[in-house]
Amino acid sequence: MNVHFNKRDPVYVQVIRHFKEQIATGVFEPGQEIPSRRELAGRLKINPNTAQRAYKEMEEAGLIYTERNLPSRITKDEKVLRAVREELIDEAVDAFVHSIRSINVSADDVLDRVKEKFETDKDTRGYGND
Amino acid sequence: MIEVKDVKKKFGRKHVLKGVSFTANKGEITCVIGINGVGKTTILNTIMNLTPLNSGQILIDGEKINKHSYEKITFIPDAITMLPSMTIREAMQFMDDFYDSWNQERATELLGFFKLKETEKINNLSKGNRAKINLLLGLALDVDYLLMDEPFSGIDMFSREQIADVFTSHLVEDRGVIITTHEISDIEHLIDKSVLLDNGVVLKEFNTEDMRETEGKSIVDVMREVYQQ
Repeated sequence: MNVHFNKRDPVYVQVIRHFKEQIATGVFEPGQEIPSRRELAGRLKINPNTAQRAYKEMEEAGLIYTERNLPSRITKDEKVLRAVREELIDEAVDAFVHSIRSINVSADDVLDRVKEKFETDKDTRGYGND
Repeated sequence: MIEVKDVKKKFGRKHVLKGVSFTANKGEITCVIGINGVGKTTILNTIMNLTPLNSGQILIDGEKINKHSYEKITFIPDAITMLPSMTIREAMQFMDDFYDSWNQERATELLGFFKLKETEKINNLSKGNRAKINLLLGLALDVDYLLMDEPFSGIDMFSREQIADVFTSHLVEDRGVIITTHEISDIEHLIDKSVLLDNGVVLKEFNTEDMRETEGKSIVDVMREVYQQ
């Protein structure tokens, strides 16, 4: 885990975002055990209080769950998992649209380019994996 | 909790602290920030009762400091106070003789953490390693409060990172830490509370995560506002 934190957003919010990304990309699988608060603080090099806060918020949002005294786990709730994915996609699209709108270009033109980029990106990625 | 209440201190005719008030909670890292010469070290000295106050009051968990307090709170000065001819082992023995709260197990763990050998002489250590031993001698005491004076100054980046890592670990967890610095970039994301000091007064005291959350400002942003007015 290597996260670069910016200095203006609350660190706990950035930790939660990191978890959401890991969930959306499948690095964290549903039901997977997550590090303890102390381990997380050590790995991300953050204040243990911040790790605690992030876990508390994620627990309340249903992203993780804890049974009795066992280590916490990533939720298995399909609805929550889907919502995380949707949220990240929406955010990325918003940011993209926001920046492209200022250039004054039609949606069709942009979409064609996006599709094209998707294809070439896939090819280069293919090489990387072989 | 450490409560500093309207503390005034002058050296001769020079007013170093002109009514400083702030609190530092247990289980939190409180950072006293200010450029050189604003009274950061003097504040730590007054908390430890190493220098008498002219007026004001300092309470540690509701009590005035007394001889028993030194098993509960410790001060890590900016330079090591052990004799240079001592080995690390001898320095640890010295601490053990002086303090009931000395925890050798933790000291040994810290030695491993910093990758240092106890047979080495303090005199022969590099500046960075000497700073680490200085820190070790304070951290290995089972005390509730740790005061650290400029633990990062004049130390290479890898040693600074190693020292910053201490703050993310159980070595500091659950204790109250007051740290002074004029350079916060190493620990900006680690501190719970900032106290901005200038010219003997507290200009601003705030919780860093709350500041980011409610105003979207980094500590440096706030410093710019406060100091450059």
